[in-house]
Amino acid sequence: MKRAKPVVFGALLAAFAAGCTGARPVVVGSKNFTEQVILGEMLAQLLQARNVPVERRLNLGGTLICHRAILAGDLDVYVEYTGTALTAILKEPVSHDASAVYRQVRETYRRDLGLAWTEPLGFENTFAIAMKPETAKTLGIRTISDLKAHGEALRPGAGHEFLEREDGFRGLVDAYDLEFTHRPRGIELGLLYQALMEGEVDFVVGSATDGLIEKFALTVLEDDRSYFPPYDAAAVYRPSTVEREPALAQVLELLEGNLDEAAMRSLNRRVDDEGRTAADVVSSFLEERRWVTPERK
Amino acid sequence: MDTLRFLLERRGDIAQMTLEHVFLVAVSIALAVAIGVPLGILLTRRPSLASPVIGFANVMQTIPSLALFGFLIPVPLIGGIGNRTAIVALALYALLPLLRNTYAGIQSVDPSVVEAGRGMGMTDLQRLRLIEIPLALPTVLAGVRISTVNAIGLATIAAAIGAGGLGTLIFRGLSMVDSRLILAGAVPAAVLALVADGLLGRFEKRFGWDR
Repeated sequence: MKRAKPVVFGALLAAFAAGCTGARPVVVGSKNFTEQVILGEMLAQLLQARNVPVERRLNLGGTLICHRAILAGDLDVYVEYTGTALTAILKEPVSHDASAVYRQVRETYRRDLGLAWTEPLGFENTFAIAMKPETAKTLGIRTISDLKAHGEALRPGAGHEFLEREDGFRGLVDAYDLEFTHRPRGIELGLLYQALMEGEVDFVVGSATDGLIEKFALTVLEDDRSYFPPYDAAAVYRPSTVEREPALAQVLELLEGNLDEAAMRSLNRRVDDEGRTAADVVSSFLEERRWVTPERK
Repeated sequence: MDTLRFLLERRGDIAQMTLEHVFLVAVSIALAVAIGVPLGILLTRRPSLASPVIGFANVMQTIPSLALFGFLIPVPLIGGIGNRTAIVALALYALLPLLRNTYAGIQSVDPSVVEAGRGMGMTDLQRLRLIEIPLALPTVLAGVRISTVNAIGLATIAAAIGAGGLGTLIFRGLSMVDSRLILAGAVPAAVLALVADGLLGRFEKRFGWDR
């Protein structure tokens, strides 16, 4: 028994050394909502199909956690939205010209942060204020401005990040000059629509591509004062990783402009509504699109 | 200094959420006391039930809190999103220390004292009211104290399911990588726990018998 210890220790040391010298994996990240996990999974599976070692760090607690991680080199790539980068990360004022926002964000990232953006993936995901169609009809609410008249009755619900972000709830309330008697409820993103359907809150701030908006046929209020900036999705990556792993460049190029809103919404829906795992949904999607050949998977 | 200014700026939020927090904890502890103490007494009368019931409470305590919130959400009537679910979960967690302390407190009353009561012609109920409960009270109160301090910490997690409270600030801070916000939630929660511990400790002393 006494002999065994150094042997085990030696074996562990050897394993550790092997782990260190082995190819460094590409670390893929994502934020903590369905669409993000799907996109992270998609990047990971496409890389794996090209025999690139991958480490998944999906479902991280929010925008700024992903941002800090990629800055620190703990992540190599994740999908970000131009509007979020502009307002939440760079703290620049809102602009509504989608391509100008994209150019500005890409330039600032390159110049100040040493990070690169791909071309937009092809879909936009802005915030969406959703309520039950019955509530909207009874109160005659169609736009965000219409909420003003019902500030005493309506109970808002949103993710914790949205409640704290500068371009989140506070900004929204200012821009539309709204006033709510009930304080907004902070709820985990995965539970937002459940809270709405159970009547715990009267409207929620979700994402436009959320699969459950379609499933529950919710009314999405029009952003009639265009408060929300354009939120084109694109991947943010570390340029040094692409030099090390050229396959990452191929994968990113493949995604550019190739994921439209309908595709994204249907992916989200397959996970949120049909209860399938993101990994499963992504692998069948990649086969449908013939982005991976089934044998090589 | 910066953090201090930040905390001052947010004092409205902090005060409001502290109130929500106290509410969550107070209601769940009241619920747990209302169930746990009578149940603990009952167990001393039906000792065969003691191990299954305390075993159940033990199991409740081993479930990770976030998971327990998750399990409760789909349960009709007590579940859902919001503070009802949180209160039920917190009460379930508080149950074990209360049950165990009530049970142990009454079990540890010197049998000769109970016997003396019987000799004086007291009924079972009288012995319970006049001898066993007063003698077990410090142990019961110690249970209340443990579960309250526990519940104050656990209640921060309830913000995940929209129950409000100081956890809201902690979750916001986590999503924004803003340690000032995390502190704005964590420090008042810690202070609350200390205050509750101190107050209940005094209470415990006052109702204890002189040893």
